[in-house]
Amino acid sequence: MQHLRRSVSSISYLNRSSLSRCTRFFATSTELEEKVEIPNYIQRSPTTILRALSQTVGFDPTAAHYKYHDDPYLIPLSNVGKRSFALAMESGRKSAKFIRQQHSNLFQHREADPPIEAFLPTKMYTIDSQVEISDLTTSIEHSHVSDAILVYALLKKNNVELTNDVKQSLLELLCFYNCEEPLEEDMIEERWFRQNQRLKERNRKTWKDNDTAEQLYYEIEPKTPQTYACIIRGMCKYYQVEKAYAIFQDCLANNIKLDVDCFNSILNVVRFIKESADLRWSVMLDLLKTMKEKGVSPNLGTLNACLNSISEMGSKNAKDYAIQIMTEFKNIGIEPSLASYYHILHTFCKDRGPVSHVLVDILNEIEGKEFEMRDIKDTMFFVTAMDVCRNHLYDLNLAKRVDAFLHFGENYNLIGDSYKESIYYRNYFTLLVQAEPFDKFMADYYHILVPHVYIPEPSVMEEILKAVEVTGAIDNIPLLWSHMICFEQISRDNLLALIVRIMLQNKPDLTIKTQENLKETFSHIAWDIWSKIEEKNELRSKPVVWTGKLLGDILRIICTSEDIDRASVIMEKLLNDQQKILGESDYIAMEDYVQLCITKKQPSKAIQCLQYCTEIGFNESKNLAKTICKGFTLDENHTRRVVRYAGESVIQEIEKEMQEESAAKNVTQ
Amino acid sequence: MSFSGLIKQNALISSQLSRGIQTSAILASVQSGRYKITPKRDRPLTYEMANPPHYIAHRKGWNSWNTSNLRGELRTAQCITEDAFIRKFMTGTWHSLVLSEVIIKRQFNHIRIAALIKQGISSRKMYFLIGYTEELLSYWLQCPVTLELQTITDPKDVIFKYI
Repeated sequence: MQHLRRSVSSISYLNRSSLSRCTRFFATSTELEEKVEIPNYIQRSPTTILRALSQTVGFDPTAAHYKYHDDPYLIPLSNVGKRSFALAMESGRKSAKFIRQQHSNLFQHREADPPIEAFLPTKMYTIDSQVEISDLTTSIEHSHVSDAILVYALLKKNNVELTNDVKQSLLELLCFYNCEEPLEEDMIEERWFRQNQRLKERNRKTWKDNDTAEQLYYEIEPKTPQTYACIIRGMCKYYQVEKAYAIFQDCLANNIKLDVDCFNSILNVVRFIKESADLRWSVMLDLLKTMKEKGVSPNLGTLNACLNSISEMGSKNAKDYAIQIMTEFKNIGIEPSLASYYHILHTFCKDRGPVSHVLVDILNEIEGKEFEMRDIKDTMFFVTAMDVCRNHLYDLNLAKRVDAFLHFGENYNLIGDSYKESIYYRNYFTLLVQAEPFDKFMADYYHILVPHVYIPEPSVMEEILKAVEVTGAIDNIPLLWSHMICFEQISRDNLLALIVRIMLQNKPDLTIKTQENLKETFSHIAWDIWSKIEEKNELRSKPVVWTGKLLGDILRIICTSEDIDRASVIMEKLLNDQQKILGESDYIAMEDYVQLCITKKQPSKAIQCLQYCTEIGFNESKNLAKTICKGFTLDENHTRRVVRYAGESVIQEIEKEMQEESAAKNVTQ
Repeated sequence: MSFSGLIKQNALISSQLSRGIQTSAILASVQSGRYKITPKRDRPLTYEMANPPHYIAHRKGWNSWNTSNLRGELRTAQCITEDAFIRKFMTGTWHSLVLSEVIIKRQFNHIRIAALIKQGISSRKMYFLIGYTEELLSYWLQCPVTLELQTITDPKDVIFKYI
């Protein structure tokens, strides 16, 4: 791409110079010696123009990812939605493929010439199929592992003689995939959304002992160096280390020439060969020396394997070892990949170790470079780097540098999968919201990345709400609440309690323009919380348990907007479902409610509240009774109920107070 | 008949044989693409249905966009039968959900299918059907197929008038 840009700029340069030459020509015809410099031909690929075009299209934060249909109904609004929509589409594809295979006789037409293999059904094999060697080779070519195993068994049954080349390529296939059918190549979404099983099972042996791969290995005679290399690498990949190491040592003893990748895979599993750190280091050194003796030149894989083993060594000297290795490989001109830096980060930034600023040095080294995938663990770099920024160094500027590096060129291809991407953004967002001014965070990051690039998980949402609480930026509450509904986070107790607390403690300032209507909005949100949870509780088998505190707080918020109907609904819930509600409400909520009843002239509702207070056993319920008696002119019926809940003494006290007051009035008169 | 006459006649026949639909005689234009008025005037029509064929390119567009009908182009017959198949497939797979004509656009080897769809099933099921339709049709037609759907909240929204 840079070539193209360069050539364009050079063209404009040419035009400019020729123009100036023209003017000069008319001025003085003597200066004609300037030469036209034709730039060198630049080799272009067939996709250069397409890439150039694609660069003219920028990132649009208001649009969903292009794999989703551009329709409001079909755009996902939550993490669950993103995942399930993409996977549902892929599941549809899989069903179509199934139908094609089931009715393969109907899909035998050839529209294109030459026929496009990908559209045609693949051949299906059963135990009774008549098979030939070509079937085996095509299965191997297309990486159909289970087909290859079956065809191989059938051929063996029919006593068909196979050449060693075919056997070798079959062995390579089986060792690479551990005799298991791999996920098909076109299942992009499944690969993106699945949790990477292999990294999870990093310390577990998954190699299938005595399966077809091993049998085949014993069958191949005479064995070539490739055969040994193949089985060693397969066993190392799936952590059958003992056998692999035994074969490896046999090979060394018998002077069989092994390739560099074979050494790499042994170096990668050194931690399974020896117990202590020092022994492991000496084994690694031995291996490297053997490589030198045998004339095997190391490559990037060797570097990464060494660093990987060092990072998991658990030795005090690990950092020195890593630096030694890095300088050694730098001297022989091997450019490290992102995986190498990931291993370095892993070695230097331990959870309980001293703080290390190695990430700064790494970024100084790699910033402004474009990387491509060269090692399977290259995708671990960005997520680890951001983790280090947040948890190890707590450095916002560094995090921003990492993010800029991620968005440089095509580097975003190395983010890995959806899981790593979400952890990356989780760390980045948490750091941003804690360290960046809140308004800037919302304007520069939240509004741009949410919801189409990243949807905050509940823990991040909690951090954001806490930041709102600290800064008092309550005009963001309506937006955050609607996002919480979209992201399906409204059944989280802690988030609900937090948002209600914020609404309660921060009274909207009517003089600020953005907060003018906030009082009403808060009341709506409070009512929304109530109705949404009630609605959900009817449907769900495991309902959200209301706490008295939360209900009381909701009641208080609704009281501020003087909505007696809604407030009384909540009051009734408090009164009628006392057994199901955890804890009790604050007394202050009751006072607010009674005051509202007084302004709206609803004595019976106020007395209901009094009933709740006495049933809960508030000490202040007498005061409440007094407020009620003073606030309303009660008829006989109401008075009787007040007496029932608050006792005879209250009325007498009130009468006494009133007499005293009137007496006091008389005195002043 | 003279020799030159014979050649003329042959030329006439061959030109008739290669004549496309758009140049053939207008026989059924009184009826085709038009809807009868019902006694109770309760037949719902979409905008496209309400405009008879002579309004194509004036008030409404074509339902199939391709060049196979032009002189010298390939696959005229295949294109028509394929389009008919695609329409059947769409209305059958998206059963009672398609609210409009199924528009089929061909560009190079790429087929784009557009339609209005009722929001009668959950969006997740729609995504399943999108994936299924695209994949199966591309197996059948052996070229990339893309669905371009728009969903409609209320089916009444597409009704232009009742006749």
